[in-house]
Amino acid sequence: MKIYKILILGLLLTVVSCSIDEQVDPNRPSLNSVLSDASITELNLLANGIEGFMRNGYGTYVTATGSIARELYIFDADPRNTEDLLGKDGMQLDNNTFYLTTPYNNFYRDIKTCNILLESVDNTDIPSQAQKDGYRGFANTIKAFKLFQVLTMLHDNGIRIEVADPTNLGPFVSKADAYRAIRTLLDQAQDQLNGSEFAFQLSSGFAGFDTPATFAQFNRAIAAKVALYAGDPQGALSALNNSFFDLMGDFKTGPKMVFGTNAGDLLNPVFKAPNQSGDQLVVHNDVINDAEAGDDRLNKFAVRANQTSQDGLTGTHETRLYASATSPIDIIRNEELILIYAEGLIQTDMLDDAVDALNIIRNGHNLPDYSGAMTKDALIDEMLYNRRYSFWGEAQRMFDLRRYNRLNDQYLSIDRAGDLIFTQFPIPLTEGQ
Amino acid sequence: MKYFFTRASLVLVALLCMQASSIAQFSVSGTVTDTEGEPLIGVSILVKGTTVGTVTDFDGNYALNIPGSNALLEFSYTGFKPFTKEVTADDNNVDVTMSEDIANLEEIVVTGLASTIKRSNLANAVATISSEEITGVTTQQTLDGALYGKLPGVNIVQNNGAPGGGIAIRLRGVSSLSGNNQPLIILDGVYITNAEIPSGSRFASGANVGIEEGASNRLADINPDDIESIEVLKGASAAAIYGTRANAGVMIITTKRGKTGATKVALEQDIGFNTISNKVGRRVFDSRAEVEAAFPTEPNAGAEWEAAKAAGKIFDYEDIIYGETGLISETRFKVSGGNQKTTFFISAGYRDEDGIIKNTGFDRLSARLNITHEISKSFTISTSSNYINSNASRSFTGNENEGGLSYGYTLAFTRDYVDLFPDEDGNYPDNPNYTGNPLFVRDKAKNEENNSRFIQGAKLEWKALQRDNQVLRFILNGGFDILNNETFVYVPENHQAQRGVTNGFIGVGKNKISNYNYQFTGSHDFYTAGNLSFSTQAGISYLNIDRDFLLNRTTQLIPLQTNVSQGGAQTIEQTLENEEEFGIIAQESVNWDDKIIGTVGVRFDKSSLNGDPNKLYGFPRASLALNIANFDFWNSQQVEQFKLRVAYGETGNSATYGSLFTSLVNLSVGGMSGFVNDFNQGNPNLVPETSSELEFGADFTLFGGKVGLEATYYIRKVNDLLYNRSLPTSSGFTNEIRNDLDLENRGLELSLILNPVRNNSFNWLSTFNFWFNNSEITRLGIPDGDEGEDIPSFVPPNVGFGFGLGTFYINEGSPITAFWGNDDNGNPTITGDAEADFQLGWFNQFKIGKNLDINFMLHWKQGGDVLNLTRLLTDTGVTTPKEDADIEGFIEDASYLRLREIGAFYTIPVNSNFIKNVRLGVSGRNLLTLTNYSSYDPETSTKGGTGLSTGLEVTPFPSSRQAYFHLYFNF
Repeated sequence: MKIYKILILGLLLTVVSCSIDEQVDPNRPSLNSVLSDASITELNLLANGIEGFMRNGYGTYVTATGSIARELYIFDADPRNTEDLLGKDGMQLDNNTFYLTTPYNNFYRDIKTCNILLESVDNTDIPSQAQKDGYRGFANTIKAFKLFQVLTMLHDNGIRIEVADPTNLGPFVSKADAYRAIRTLLDQAQDQLNGSEFAFQLSSGFAGFDTPATFAQFNRAIAAKVALYAGDPQGALSALNNSFFDLMGDFKTGPKMVFGTNAGDLLNPVFKAPNQSGDQLVVHNDVINDAEAGDDRLNKFAVRANQTSQDGLTGTHETRLYASATSPIDIIRNEELILIYAEGLIQTDMLDDAVDALNIIRNGHNLPDYSGAMTKDALIDEMLYNRRYSFWGEAQRMFDLRRYNRLNDQYLSIDRAGDLIFTQFPIPLTEGQ
Repeated sequence: MKYFFTRASLVLVALLCMQASSIAQFSVSGTVTDTEGEPLIGVSILVKGTTVGTVTDFDGNYALNIPGSNALLEFSYTGFKPFTKEVTADDNNVDVTMSEDIANLEEIVVTGLASTIKRSNLANAVATISSEEITGVTTQQTLDGALYGKLPGVNIVQNNGAPGGGIAIRLRGVSSLSGNNQPLIILDGVYITNAEIPSGSRFASGANVGIEEGASNRLADINPDDIESIEVLKGASAAAIYGTRANAGVMIITTKRGKTGATKVALEQDIGFNTISNKVGRRVFDSRAEVEAAFPTEPNAGAEWEAAKAAGKIFDYEDIIYGETGLISETRFKVSGGNQKTTFFISAGYRDEDGIIKNTGFDRLSARLNITHEISKSFTISTSSNYINSNASRSFTGNENEGGLSYGYTLAFTRDYVDLFPDEDGNYPDNPNYTGNPLFVRDKAKNEENNSRFIQGAKLEWKALQRDNQVLRFILNGGFDILNNETFVYVPENHQAQRGVTNGFIGVGKNKISNYNYQFTGSHDFYTAGNLSFSTQAGISYLNIDRDFLLNRTTQLIPLQTNVSQGGAQTIEQTLENEEEFGIIAQESVNWDDKIIGTVGVRFDKSSLNGDPNKLYGFPRASLALNIANFDFWNSQQVEQFKLRVAYGETGNSATYGSLFTSLVNLSVGGMSGFVNDFNQGNPNLVPETSSELEFGADFTLFGGKVGLEATYYIRKVNDLLYNRSLPTSSGFTNEIRNDLDLENRGLELSLILNPVRNNSFNWLSTFNFWFNNSEITRLGIPDGDEGEDIPSFVPPNVGFGFGLGTFYINEGSPITAFWGNDDNGNPTITGDAEADFQLGWFNQFKIGKNLDINFMLHWKQGGDVLNLTRLLTDTGVTTPKEDADIEGFIEDASYLRLREIGAFYTIPVNSNFIKNVRLGVSGRNLLTLTNYSSYDPETSTKGGTGLSTGLEVTPFPSSRQAYFHLYFNF
């Protein structure tokens, strides 16, 4: 009997002694580790993550809005690019498909990282007060900019502003309230940047905009753009004053998204290899046909070697917007600020100054001075013409047309009978609205 | 537990007291033969109600000393009907003839961890398949592929037709959304891995997730010819004793072992051919006007077509890519035998198979040694060792995004009038219609894997106590499975989609999965005078799984280099996972004279995958079988068996690894590192999902075993289903993992076995397996009508292609396998269902004379839809054949009737001392399919075997049909 007792005892001992350790993620850092007592290193990693993730979703944002605005077609294997986005046969935009969810999800993921940084800064005593304000000014500026991008897509549907607590998300607020909130956030960020200190280093894309003072100029540039979209031209003009707006300056000045081939880095999502037939951004023929002779902005396009059609659509030209897969993309540049300035002046009926600004753009692109009518409507046409060619493939055209109620078949050609022109994206299905 | 030990001790004490009273005994001897007079070796003979017994020797002889003056002798032998004979002290010589057991009533089924039960006493519908059914008709590519239609309730779906597997097994419907729907696989006591390991080709092809890469599943490594039997525990009622890993069912695989007797040597050679089973066809243009109408915006299209036509350069690219005939060769060498103490089984097999696409194929080298040795009267050790080296070249198929690699994608856009052939210098032209030239990809790009794997199982059995009326045994068994997997993906820098952007891709994966498990069980069998027997068992079980997936990849290749270090943009990714599980098991079974058999049991498990890793979760079971025909009042001669049975059990499934954690993800911008939040929100408080199943049924055996019927109905509930719910993505998270979903599967399984003709010159055995399953989501969030915030219906991540095309959608009250789309008002509506209405497998075996065997297997699947996105692509590219042009929508009925297997073997007896016989055979797989489905194969899944994965087709590797010649020598 003894031996059985030993066996039973042994069995019981094994049962009791087999304890499994608490689990930690062996693969990646945990969110909780940065939420309290974060070190400067951790806060800086979050800041760089925020900058890097600004790029995610941008490619689809450009191609989806560009397709709707009939500035380009996406010729690739996904038929939804030439069906849904162009409203083929009366088809509506889906609320759970990549052309909406990719930008939407990525933009909000960057906003989440901004909120994580803001929370982490609040819950640590390691950085100085000035450094804390530097993080806050940076995070709030980017957060406001990403919220603005989401709002450009959803427009009259409104957006959620309060998203810091995933278990208790704020409501969808109206477009007007959303613009108000974004502008308040930008102003708050400007205040935080004032007198602050950057304990972090931004990438070379922010060269010239990487101190609190110069980053504040970027903050004001965004504020000007948002004000214009919000229908406040006076606000736009005053925001420009503290931005890097320079009528005499280089069009190209401004912070950029940079790309690279390092591990974990991204390639320029809007670059397409020349003459690549199956994955190409084909320029809408109207863009080519409507250009003034000599406009050097036509250099953004090249004749397609093989002009195959897809889904009943075709185009003679393809994109040459970017030279390579590692070319940087402008976030906002002086050229846009000059055009915001012109638009603000037109809206406030200062037409002469507006023409001067427009001529700077025209001359800069190998065109003679404006010679058309000096009416507000004519100048709006001229301003929109310049925006169309200066910002082709930069996710502007859809919103420019919409601001002037031109996102419809009176102003845009319908390529196939039955196609629709959409003015905004639906609220994603997952929002449960 | 406590109860068991108390009772066991009492029994031991009682036993010691009884021992003294021994009485007179007598001896009996004789010979046991089959109906043809051949001696049967190893027949076990037991004195009823005691543990006194013996086995027959090489010549079928036995001798036995029997206590008392008379007794009932029970003769039993695998595959034969048992035979009971009354003997008295006057009988000195008792010869017995045993006949074959057609209905398999006496088959021994493994039900507990250390116990077995006769099929006729079983309270569950445990499906068993023997080696004859696995490999008897034709040669099998993979073990899972051999099960199609042969077992009721077992759904096999081939995700991908590439040689080397890619098969999903689903038992009794969907049991999990987040984790694995694949059953637990135990081979000779070892928990083996059936992982699909992605190669990283998605980084070149643009496929959305690893499961879209069409990887093979690692059951492909097991040589089907080594298998003696597979038992499938389909639901929780049978599988409860396997606890927290058994939610999707359990497959218990037993390999062949040697038998005492003369050494058997077999050399077997198969030669076969793979050809595409069904071509979809291509858009053929008959006139220039037709081309111009198809491409109205292309002024040159008509002229290009005319020029190609005149030059005789209209190609059929489908035939060029998929039209190869792949040679298959399989060689097997087996030696088995043994003496009274030791038996052995040695096998070596090599299979080499070329696919229907050039440069694709699979080969597998497998070597096995199984040994059983009786150390002493009370100790037995048995081991099984298996080394496998397998290689696969799978090339590129399935979903992608502008990678220019997947053949189906490329072909969908490639027009047959473009010339993609290389010039005399070997330069491949660019494809003007898409981002890749399929001929270039086929000839120059690579997607390969190599697996080196060792599986070792061992079992030590100690018969600690054997008395006339009881046996106490302890069993220690366990083993390990070590898989080293290497993947290699190479896309040259001059591939069209890569050139000028990423400039080539190399991915080298080094993946290791090592499992080990052991269990220690005690079992006690006790027989009483009143024909009541008790079987008690208790034990512990431990499992440890380690995974280390390392993927090195680079783009920006240095031209002409194929080494991963020769690239300008390198990335290393490592994923480590460790899972640990510990369980305690106890089970008690009571059998009253084979009339009433009752079992209760429980298993407690804890797992590192649960929020609280040391909390034990209990999984109980209970079952009852009534053998009505064994009762004395039953006197029908026609009905040999009439059994009613009911069983209940619970199992569990923990969340997949990593579900507990919310992490940050690393990125790089301008040479600086950064963190961004992950899109998955973890949940540190997860509990396992549980399945509870109630199963009842009736079994009949009629007319001397000529008719057998098994009918089973089950209600299988999965509670607290773990699922990834799409969060409002404005939260910054895409998914969270939740636990508040209930699902119910109900289904019917019928097996009808007929043996209409049975004599020495002709034997026909026919088996019908019929089954269906229906699912319903019974709870989402809180039950309807309760107070509180409910979870709205949602689309789980990665299960479809949006409402525009079709997606699965979790909606309370609807089936989980339904396809949903938008109705006219833009509201979600059901547009199809991937679940079949029913399936029917019909298996026939004919034995004509002594030497000719003909077998065939038909499989009918009725209903079940597939979302055919291959046709969406060919529509976009204007390559859909004209006859398919008017099919409405992309959800198609995927019913089919398929001649799965057919084979004929002729045995030539050779009366030589050297060769016993030679067998010649011809056979085929998938030779005939009748279906209205318009694409390659009605069974397909572009998202692999996990979760809600069936019924989605995106340009798969087309399925093949195979024809074989066989030549076998038995020495």
